[in-house]
Amino acid sequence: MNWYSIRTLVSKDVSLFFRNRFFAFTTVGALVAYIVIYLVMPSDVDETLRVGFVADQLPQEISEQLVEESLEIYYADSVTDLKDAILDAEITAGFAFPDGFQEALATNENPQVEVFFPADLPQEAKDIYVLLLKELSFLMVGQPLNIDVNEEILGEDLVGQQIPLRDRMLPMIAVFILIFETLGLANLLSGEIEARTLEALLITPLRVRELFTGKSITGIGMAFGQAFILVAITGGLNNQPLIIIIALILGALLATGVGFLLASTGKDLMGILAWGVLAILILILPAMGIIFPGTITNWVKLIPSYYLVDTLNRAFNYGIPLQLAATNLAILLAIDLIFLWLGITALRRKIA
Amino acid sequence: MSIRRVFVLIGKELRHSSKNFIFVFAVVIPVVLSLIVSLLFGTLFTGKPKLGIHDQGNSQLASMLGDTEALQAKNYDTEEILRSAVESGGVDFGIVIPEAFDEDLLNNEQAELDAYLWGESLMKNRAAIATTLVVLVREMIGQEVPVQILTTSLGDGDDIPWEKRLFPFIVFMAIFMGGTLVPATSLVDEKQKRTIKALVITPTTFADVYIAKGFFGFLVSIFVALVVLSLNRAFGNQPYLLSGVLGLSAVMAAAMGVLMGVFMKDINTLFAVIKAMGLLLYAPLFIYLFPIIPGWVGKIFPTYYMIGPLMEISQKDASWSQVSTDIFILIGLIVVLIAVLAWVSRRESRRGT
Repeated sequence: MNWYSIRTLVSKDVSLFFRNRFFAFTTVGALVAYIVIYLVMPSDVDETLRVGFVADQLPQEISEQLVEESLEIYYADSVTDLKDAILDAEITAGFAFPDGFQEALATNENPQVEVFFPADLPQEAKDIYVLLLKELSFLMVGQPLNIDVNEEILGEDLVGQQIPLRDRMLPMIAVFILIFETLGLANLLSGEIEARTLEALLITPLRVRELFTGKSITGIGMAFGQAFILVAITGGLNNQPLIIIIALILGALLATGVGFLLASTGKDLMGILAWGVLAILILILPAMGIIFPGTITNWVKLIPSYYLVDTLNRAFNYGIPLQLAATNLAILLAIDLIFLWLGITALRRKIA
Repeated sequence: MSIRRVFVLIGKELRHSSKNFIFVFAVVIPVVLSLIVSLLFGTLFTGKPKLGIHDQGNSQLASMLGDTEALQAKNYDTEEILRSAVESGGVDFGIVIPEAFDEDLLNNEQAELDAYLWGESLMKNRAAIATTLVVLVREMIGQEVPVQILTTSLGDGDDIPWEKRLFPFIVFMAIFMGGTLVPATSLVDEKQKRTIKALVITPTTFADVYIAKGFFGFLVSIFVALVVLSLNRAFGNQPYLLSGVLGLSAVMAAAMGVLMGVFMKDINTLFAVIKAMGLLLYAPLFIYLFPIIPGWVGKIFPTYYMIGPLMEISQKDASWSQVSTDIFILIGLIVVLIAVLAWVSRRESRRGT
């Protein structure tokens, strides 16, 4: 293996890649955009219901029960203060009981309670607060309910330490960056096939094996480099960095294999885009299961990128140890080698 | 300019461009996106807590839960399926209603409920589901709410569902992809393959080619936009006014597409320019996405006049008098674009390239 030739080939490919304005722009622009999107998204999850009462109207035992049920209570000095708190978005609903409320309840007079919401609160949330008020009133009159609920929590209970949406999205963004590189690599290769520069290269002392090694290094380097920058800047390496780096390298290898395959199908950018968009849509599908849990069935395991997305997600967000990620990584490596072999074979045939 | 030649060229565009990836993309993507958005935002993004139910008998509670608007309830045939739905996060909370549940409660006996909670479900969703359950059980057994409830909304905000906020994006995409991308890529492709040179050696002029490409883009644009509007039943109360504005928007998109096609020398540059112009093109749409942004901000951008009147008519039933100023500005922009195109066409003819 002539490493000097390979190094020259890689540096030529990288400079050619950035000469293509479309891919140069999308590569840098998209990376910056993804990082900005991640950084501006909320870093925590708001999982509390915030309700307000006029301070002296709520019986002590009821307020204690509400706090036990994880509600956040705001005590206003007056109804006007309560309304202001809603308009200032400090709370999402406010309950104003009339004077003599407790006595009216005790004598079954059906007192009227005013509930205030911000106008833009979705209807389902308004319904929930109304239901909450109904239950509060039942509690205040001491009406019992003969139900025993046996609760079982499935999976780790993450109350109070929920995974923010941006962290659920991070594996998807990393995979998206890796997979998008398939288009760049495929375009680079197909351009060389069309211009017959690959044939010209093979006339030189460069051997086919070195040619594909060079192209693979370019593909893996471009894909891995961007994904690594993303996870490094967004703090994705804080948890299990070794697993994440291995997964990203294997992901870059997958992108390279798919890129080789795409290059063997399309003649120009349009042809590559046609197949590439289809490939991207399929490969991105497993990431949807992380953002929308429970929406994707086990069939998704047939998509190669599943093992990449799943590993990244479990390492980023749940900090799984290497031994638990090993199966996924081994499957991913096997898939990578198959794709790489398929891609190289298809390309060799095309060049021949 | 020859009308006959223009129609021959349009026929050629239809035969050849319809096999092109961009054409398929321009027709399919807005329609698919429209379906996906209504599907996703109708179910996945509702923000409602999700409850799974396995009813072992025929409990009234199950149907009451199914009818409530406060949460999204789904029935499961077996406890195992319910359990696995909770485990995977398909629902936040799962309950198993035993056969004698209603009977026990009505006889004032202690009833039991098995509940599964997804570990990652939000605290507020758990509280909301538990409250809804308890209140509905009370209703079922005839306990009367001891208070009267008067609800009041404060402020002047409006709860705009996300599918409505994203709708302008889809309509714009329908108009822009068909009207702008199709003629632009077709022209650049002809330039790259040098077929445009062959064409203008014949009596066909640059003006004929530009009009044919633009008209084809206009047709694609208006067709896809109409499909998207009908899929979303968004014709409003003024279908003729809406169609007129749609036509003008498609003309502007097509004129922009032809101009881009004339000035760009290859597909890579064209896509790079479209990407770079993305913010300018899509900027007005952010006022629909985030209603907190003042409306006048959108009016700074020319593409507002393509989408603004359309949204006003289809979503708010605006009349001619309410949108006429925007429509006149749109017509003005079209006149400017066509004037530039006419000048470019004459310049190209003089150059003979």
